[in-house]
Amino acid sequence: MVYFRNIFPALLLTCVFIGGWEGYVALSNASPLVLPAPRDVLNGLWVERSAIGKHAVATLSVATLGFSLSVTFAFLVSILLHFSGWLRRGMMPLLVASQTVPIVALAPLMVLWFGFGLLPKVLLVILVTFFPMVVSLMAGYASMPRAFRDQLVSMGASTWAVYRRATLPSARAHFFAGLNISATYAIVATIFAEYAGARRGLGIYILSAKNNFRADLVLSAVLVSAVLTLAFLTLIRGIERATGNRFRRNTDA
Amino acid sequence: MLEVQALTIRAGRTTLVSDLSFDLADGRLTCLIGPSGCGKSSVVKWLAGVLAPELRAQGSAYIDGNLQTLPQRDIAYQPQQDTLFPWLTIVENACLGLEVRGHQKRAAREKVRSLFHDFGLDGHEDSFPDQLSGGMRQRAAFLRTIVQEARVLLLDEPFSALDAVTRLRMQDWLIDRLSDRPRSVLMVTHDLYEATQMADHVLVMAGNPGRICADIPITIPRADRNEATLANIRSSLKSMLLKDTP
Repeated sequence: MVYFRNIFPALLLTCVFIGGWEGYVALSNASPLVLPAPRDVLNGLWVERSAIGKHAVATLSVATLGFSLSVTFAFLVSILLHFSGWLRRGMMPLLVASQTVPIVALAPLMVLWFGFGLLPKVLLVILVTFFPMVVSLMAGYASMPRAFRDQLVSMGASTWAVYRRATLPSARAHFFAGLNISATYAIVATIFAEYAGARRGLGIYILSAKNNFRADLVLSAVLVSAVLTLAFLTLIRGIERATGNRFRRNTDA
Repeated sequence: MLEVQALTIRAGRTTLVSDLSFDLADGRLTCLIGPSGCGKSSVVKWLAGVLAPELRAQGSAYIDGNLQTLPQRDIAYQPQQDTLFPWLTIVENACLGLEVRGHQKRAAREKVRSLFHDFGLDGHEDSFPDQLSGGMRQRAAFLRTIVQEARVLLLDEPFSALDAVTRLRMQDWLIDRLSDRPRSVLMVTHDLYEATQMADHVLVMAGNPGRICADIPITIPRADRNEATLANIRSSLKSMLLKDTP
């Protein structure tokens, strides 16, 4: 019942949106080359399911690899920044600056520098998803009550022990918030990278469908990318729930 | 015996605590009382090795005549709040000090579990802090402090977050626990009733800057302490505290 109550608003709004879209196309006689009806999009997805599936697997592989590396890298960098105030002051402005570079400009450059292989796409995913996780982790570290640190230090805990026993657990909620934000970017970043140049992937499929004036297939691929992103988020939510029973406690100290 | 000599604590150019010296006899409970802001908690935090980074301290601490580097294994500290980690069970919280001090997890758990009955926590080994009442949380925090087997316990207003009835029960309960396991205890409190009821010694601090203005032994046996027998001591403590409070 609770589950139904949680998903009902989203289901209702989706139905209203699709119904409105279908109605608008029917009433306005819009050309399917410009705005295909939702049933045309679904039909295109069914007909092209094999091709879209292969491209989706390629996109998912790159996104998963890039995202996994990004999480690992974000963790390592957050630890370095946490323990070195000098490095934190030096690197945070650079990290912020890295986010001001438009991905549209960067994607073709990555392809130019690193070719059409896996590397430029993975690097782009890392670049886009890394920052929210580092920032979230740093905010999480800062959220640890000072009393927790004092308690451990008074027991003779080392700086690393304080990090492991109190700072890191305190940052868990922030980390998962950052992970959710980054996960929503992972698929989009991969598609951007593929769009700039790739042999396989939803990005190259969308580009090809657009060049053939198949708006229905473009939207079919977009639908698949949305489903992949939702799958990513569901997986993260699942991991958070499965591993975090003890962390969903009242945090009153 | 713990001795503190010539402790001065500064915040920038302001002197919070000036040239403070005192000692804690083995197995005795000493209460440190004084007006708000006189530096009581800062003194205890300095001894615990967790003085706020914006404060600077000069002074020495000796145990049995040996100069100590702080924090020190022979000193255990319990802050005002219970600071139980919400993501750890009560057993895991109580083991924290032992594990940090290098005990094996299993040995630490066995030791802690054996004390659960004494500390009135039976059946709550695997509970989380938010499932316990304020008094039980405080008992769990005491267990975590006492099980470390440190010779000196620093308690910074340990009952301040409790309601009046729980506080009275916890005061008696702590005295009982300490009689089983004698330690030198320095307890900060702002409550002179609590101080006179529990302490063997009361150190009175005055403010601006913080300094010890009186060291009052309470020789009346605890069983005989009541409003009548403590009236004179409380009255003189009260006048000392009021004299120094604007």
